Parts: sequence; C-alpha cells; structure tokens
Amino acid sequence: MKSKQQRQLFYLVPYGAWLLLFVIAPLVLLLFQSLTNANGGLTLHNYAVYFGSGTYLRMTFNSVWFAFLITLITLVISYPMAYLLNQLKQKQFWLLLVILPTWINLLLKTYAFIGLLSKTGTVNNFMSFFGIAPQQLLFSDWSFLLVAAYIEIPFMILPIFNSLAEIDPKLEQASRDLGANKWQTLRRVILPLSMPGVKAGIQAVFIPSLSLFMITRLIGGNRVITLGTAIEEHFLVTQNWQLGSTIGVILIVAMVVTMILTRDRVKKNTRK
Amino acid sequence: MAEQTPIIEFKSVSLAYGDTEILKGIDLSLEQGKFYTLLGPSGSGKTTILNLISGQLAATSGDILFENKRINDVPVEKRTVNTVFQDYALFPNMNVFENVAFGPSIKKMSKNDIERQVHDMLKLVKLDQYADRDISELSGGQRQRVAIARALANDPKVLLLDEPLSALDYKLRKDMQYELREIQQRLGITFVFVTHDQEEALAMSDWIFVMNDGVIQQNGTPEDIYDEPINHFVADFIGESNIVDGIMKTDYVVHFVGKDFENVDAGMRPNERVEVVLRPEDLDLTTIENGKLIVTIDDQSFRGDYYEITAIDDDGNEWQVQATNSAQVGERVGLTFDPEDIHIMRFNESEDDFDARLESYEDDDEE
Amino acid sequence: MKKAFKWSNLYLWFVFILLYLPIFFLIIYSFNAGDVMQGWDGFSLKHYAELFADTRIIEIVVNTFLIALLSSLLASILGTAGALYIYDQRNQLIKNIFLSLNNILLVSPDVIIGASFLILFTVVGFSLGFASVLLSHIAFSIPIVVLMVLPRLQEMNQSLVAAAKDLGANNWQMLSRVILPVISPGILAGFFMAFTYSLDDFAVTFFVTGNGFSTLSVEIYSRARQGVSLEINALSAMMFVVSLVLVLLYYVISTRSSKNKKRGTRLVTPATEGL
Repeated sequence: MKSKQQRQLFYLVPYGAWLLLFVIAPLVLLLFQSLTNANGGLTLHNYAVYFGSGTYLRMTFNSVWFAFLITLITLVISYPMAYLLNQLKQKQFWLLLVILPTWINLLLKTYAFIGLLSKTGTVNNFMSFFGIAPQQLLFSDWSFLLVAAYIEIPFMILPIFNSLAEIDPKLEQASRDLGANKWQTLRRVILPLSMPGVKAGIQAVFIPSLSLFMITRLIGGNRVITLGTAIEEHFLVTQNWQLGSTIGVILIVAMVVTMILTRDRVKKNTRK
Repeated sequence: MAEQTPIIEFKSVSLAYGDTEILKGIDLSLEQGKFYTLLGPSGSGKTTILNLISGQLAATSGDILFENKRINDVPVEKRTVNTVFQDYALFPNMNVFENVAFGPSIKKMSKNDIERQVHDMLKLVKLDQYADRDISELSGGQRQRVAIARALANDPKVLLLDEPLSALDYKLRKDMQYELREIQQRLGITFVFVTHDQEEALAMSDWIFVMNDGVIQQNGTPEDIYDEPINHFVADFIGESNIVDGIMKTDYVVHFVGKDFENVDAGMRPNERVEVVLRPEDLDLTTIENGKLIVTIDDQSFRGDYYEITAIDDDGNEWQVQATNSAQVGERVGLTFDPEDIHIMRFNESEDDFDARLESYEDDDEE
Repeated sequence: MKKAFKWSNLYLWFVFILLYLPIFFLIIYSFNAGDVMQGWDGFSLKHYAELFADTRIIEIVVNTFLIALLSSLLASILGTAGALYIYDQRNQLIKNIFLSLNNILLVSPDVIIGASFLILFTVVGFSLGFASVLLSHIAFSIPIVVLMVLPRLQEMNQSLVAAAKDLGANNWQMLSRVILPVISPGILAGFFMAFTYSLDDFAVTFFVTGNGFSTLSVEIYSRARQGVSLEINALSAMMFVVSLVLVLLYYVISTRSSKNKKRGTRLVTPATEGL
C-alpha cells in the first residue's frame, strides 16, 4: 500500500502545515502570552490582575449579560419566524431572502443604523410626528442590543428553520390525529424536535455576541464594553498584549462552556 | 348491506386541487364493526379518502357524515377516529410508553388511567415488555405495533390504517395481517385499511372498495369482487386474468376466439360486444381432443404448488394457466374450463345496473 | 382559522421589513442630493461621482476583491487536500482529532483569531500588510472549504473508487478523473463561501492589517467613526448589487448540482465570526 501512503502524505503536508501554523501555534502563543509579563518571564500575574479587579469582572459579567439578552431577543423573534417560514410554499426562496442580508458587509449594516438612530435621524423624525421629542438613541445600551440582535437574527433563524424542515410532517399529522390541537402539537412535538436547531442557533449567536467590538464602538459608544472590545483595546490601543491574551483565554473558556452546554446530548447514530 | 345506521357516510364527496380532480363524487357507507379495505394503485385516491375521514384534508364538495352528523368542518383533533400512518410517524423524542400515552395525556386522563390504558394497549399488541424502549431501538415490526397501540389508545370508533404493512418483509406482513384481523374482531370497532396489495385486501377484509382514478370502481365482499369483476380494470387489478373480447350471442351463449361457449350469464342485448374473463386457476391442461381451446405452450415455470404456463392460441391471444400438471414448451395442448368459470363484463356497466341485471335473471331461473 | 393566517403573514412581513429596512435606507440615501442621511433634498448621482473619483476607495475595492479571490482560490486547494486527507484516514481517532482541529477556527470568535494571528506574525517577524491579510484570510477560509467538500466525499459511491482501482488507475488519475469531478460542486460551493467570508471580514483584517494596507470593511469602519458620508452609501448600494449577484450565482450552482439528487438546496451562510 505504498501508493496510499504517498497519497496521504501529499494531502497531509499542506493541510497539516496550515493546522500547525494557523490553528495550533496561534492558540499556544495566545495562552503563552497570557502567562508572561512585559519582559517575557512566566507569571500568573495577568490572571491575578483580571480576577482581582472589580472592573474586569464587572465587564465580563456585563458582556455575558448582553450576549444573553441578544441571544434571547433573537430567539424570541426567530423561532416564530422560522416556524412560519417553514409553512410557506416557496420556503427555500423565502429562506434565501432571510439569508441575503447576511451577505452584506456587517460594517455597512451597522453604518445604516448610525443614520437611522442619530439625533436628527429617521427614527427621531418619525417619533416627532407623535410629539415625542428627539432623543439620543445612539450610544445607548438599547441601540447596542437592537443593532446586535438585527445582525444576529438570520443566524438564529437558519438553524431553527433547518431543524424544523427536517421534522417529518407526518408527525404533526399524527399529533393532531391523536387529539392534540395546534398549540399542543407545537409544544409537545415540534418544539422538542427542533431543540437541536435552537441549540445550534444559541451557539451561533451567543459566542459572537461576546466579541462584537465594532458595534460597541460605532453604536454603543463606549458605554457597552464586551470581552471583544476589551481584547481589541488591549491589543491595538493600550498595547498590553499580555492582559489582552488573558481576556482572550477567558473568552475561549466562555466559548467552550457555551458549546458544552448547548451540545446535542443524543448522539444521532453515525450520521453527520 | 344490512339495515344499520352507518358510522361513516360519504355523499357525493369530491376533492380537487385547481383543475386536478383527486376524488370524483364518492358515495360510500361504512357500518360499525367491520373491516373495510380501500384497494387501488397509487394515485387512485384511496389515501385521500382516509385523510378526509381523519380530517387531514377537507372536501371540495359533498358531505361527510359520522354517525349521521356532518363532520366536514370538525377539526382533526376533535374526531373520534385515529390513524396508523404508513411509516408509523412515531414521535422520536418519546419512548414507547410516551408515544402510546400521547393521546390519553392530551385528554387529561389521570395518571393511573393513562398507565392502565397504555399497559392494556401494549399488551394487545404484545409489546408489554417494551414500554421503556426508545423508538430507535425497535425493529420495523415492533414500531408497527407501537403505532397500532398508539392509535387504539384513544379508544377510537374507527381506526384508519394507511398501508401499514407495506414496509414489512413478506413473512412479517403475513403474521401482521392475521393479527390485525384478530385485533379488529376482538375490539369490534370499524377498521378502514388502505392498501395496493390485492392479496392483502382479499385475505383481511369484510368489504372491499376497489378504486381507480378517484372513482370507486366496485365494492363488495372479497368473493364478489374476485369472482365477478365489473370491468376490465377490476379484473386486471384483482388477481390474474385472461381477458378477451367476445360477443354475447343470446342468454347463456358467448362467442369468443371463433367458438360458441355455454356460460351462466344473461340479461344482455342479443349479439352485444362484451369482455370475457377466465381466471388462470380455472383453466386446466388436457388433450387436444378434450380441449375447448387449442393452444401452444410458450413458457412454463414451476411455482411450488402449481405450474405457471403461458400459452398462445391460434388467434394470437395469450393465456395464463395455473396447472397442476406440466407440459413441454412448444407442445400443442387443449385447455378446458367449466361454463361457470366464464365471467362476462359489459362495457360501461355500473355496479347498480350489474346488480339489477343479476337479480332479474336469477329470479327468472327460480321461476 | 382565516384570522390566524393573516396574523402570521403580518409577522412575516414585519420581520422581513426589519431585515431589509437598514439596507434600503442606505441605498435610498445614496441618491440623496444632500450630504447627510436625513431629509430628502432630491435625487442625485453625485455621491456615485464622488465615489468613482476617489482613487483611494477604488484602490481599496480592488485590494479587497484581490484578497478575496486569491485567498478563496488557495483555500479551496488546501481545503480540498484537507478534506481528502480526512476522508482517506481510516484511523477513527486521528480522523476525529483532525476534524476537531479543523473546526476550531470556525467556532472561534473573530477577535481571538485576529489577536492570535497578530501575535503569530509579530513573533515570527512577519511584517503586517497585504501578505499578512492574505495569509489570515486563507487560514480562516480553509475549514469552510473542508466542511463543504467532506460531505460530497462521504456521499461518493464507494464502488466508483474501487472500479477505478480495478481498471488500473494510479493515484493521480483516480483523483483527477474520478474523485475531483464528483466533489467539484462541493469545492465550488466552498470557494464561494470563502470568497464571501473574505469580502465580509472585518475583525481579523483589522488586527493584522498594519498601517499601510486597508480593506473595504476596515475603511468603512474608520470613515464611519469620523461621521456620515454618503459616498459610503453609494458604495454600499454597489456592494449590495454585488452580493445579490453572488448569491444568485451560488443559488443557481447549488440548485443545479443538487437537482438530480433528492436533497433540497441547503443554503449556508457565512457564519457570524467570518463577518
């Protein structure tokens, strides 16, 4: 089987090089950086700073809290949307329309909200029709939540839609046949069966929400600081890479925890 | 049919999607406690009738009655019928017990009642040891039983079965046919069974509806339908048939493949063009001298309890014969049959006309 | 029944309007004669004129597309090799390790990717600019290609490979004549996905771009921080059209290649981290 080994090697060399250089090395370097001081000596100092500081802990809690809110808002909007989309006749086409906005540069969409939400912007103009005085809508917690949720909605709809589409329509018929009304069918059959999609959606929204630094900068002012914002700040503004890497490690831990919490417990045979 | 209030009645029920007519003016009437079968090829509308009874589909026109009440607008969940679905449609997120308990729990039965009901149903389908199993751990036959138990757990007055046996292998299917029939007789409720398998239909049913093109072609007991198919479609679909064109010269004399034959049909116009049906198992091989038809053996294969023989007569008609004795391919032999084995079908005769004609000449015979 | 139906339609419309409002808002204002995104001063194409006269922006657009094209091409090749290796690997443990490693960059938040790449480039003394951005884009696109190609390989009829072997094909002939034609729809889909990931990326580029080099996302970010300029609206209108064309192309390709199979079109979005 010499030819097989040759073949394997031919594939492994470029791909393995990528894995080593751009997957393993950066993560090791990040971890290493978080364990060093400015002179390159090994230390746990950065973690001591992080866990000893009320500001950092509060920032972390806030970031998680906001990510939770964003996830909740998108879930509440997306589940009914995915459910209704799945009942449409041309559902693949409508799904495409949901996905289309995700192909438009995130920065452009964020930029649009600057125009919509500014003090003399469209939303305030619209409100003034109802006699509501113009307010500063930008640079608030709410504007951050709104824009972040807007960005994330398609990523929540898509996995939920896919898991709903996989449910055999016969199951819904069977449930109705056995006496369950539409609502009972949704609660007892459809909802449990679409949980894998909901979990995938939570994963796809919660983790990025922890690190959306550009939206906090452009829309949230500097009121909302996420883990992502803090990392960007330490790397590109204050140049404290050690502490930035420490926060990065914290973010990775948060990510892993999220993935463990939302993983599919039932192994689906060997498919996928 | 007997003078009993029907449990389900269809009065000229039609269903169409745009210009496509799925069902065309169906009339039918089902009695309490019988085993009915809707038999037909795929696309004939048999499953549509099932869905109209269960309420998954709504009729375009016509009335559907349940115990004399119109139920066209009653939603699925309010109907006292339940369905065994083709691929079982068991809830994969629930185990066997939870699947069967689904209906009773929706009805808000007490915990004890639910447990007793589920236990009874699982016992009925011989799965009482399997309550805690996951659906994914069950074999096809076991899933089938769970589906039956689940549908029966709601104490339906009518059980609908949508090709429930089609996914099972031959041996298992035979066993389930017998068992379903037994369950139906024990519970005494009405079963409406959909299948495209004529053997299955003949073996299980009290009454069969043969469907094609959205129309009921014929309905009757299995014997009626097998022995007296009303038209070419039914004769061809139910069992195997040799069908040739013929002329009904006078009562009890039919002419086909160039000869006159004595038969037992009457009540038609003189020299009316008809179709003649002869079942392969009614034909026997004999010597040329004794043969009513002379044929050449074209093909022969051994089928265990009989020989399946294809023979060709001098007019070029093909004859299927199920014979107990064998022959040589290429050999010329005679075919023999009895007068009562000849079945005559008139063109475009309705079931009602057929029944009326039958009655008229059978009365004559008695006089 | 009728009424519930209406309500559901209302909800669908509401969400669709929500999704498209900001985009159409941007596009409409790109035709405003005024200079801000408020108050309509009449129709004008002047912001488009400004855009085409802005050599810096045009250079950045060219750079952005160049990076996207090169990175997705190279990622398609490397990713296909990776998928073939993982597919070929008979040892289940090694296979799973490679699959997990492959997915790390897909699930990692983009700031982590950006920051760790920045450390990497600095440690090895690689100067920041076009090359570092290109390498980063290739790096985060490879796992996407692997993910799009692998299912095609797994669906591939095993007897096809056996037959080719039986007929005496060597490794290279097997790859070029049998395997590649079968998995080419997957590679093409991977290429498109990688292309859009690259076009959309902001965060990773932002970390590894240095001073001299900029892509569209980075440029918009820095301009938006300075305030509103309708030239950006004109740019976004044009980007919208480009996205639309790309989506349609992808849609056509993916529906055509899956038409003879029974599986429906499964569209894939750029995951959030790639944006």
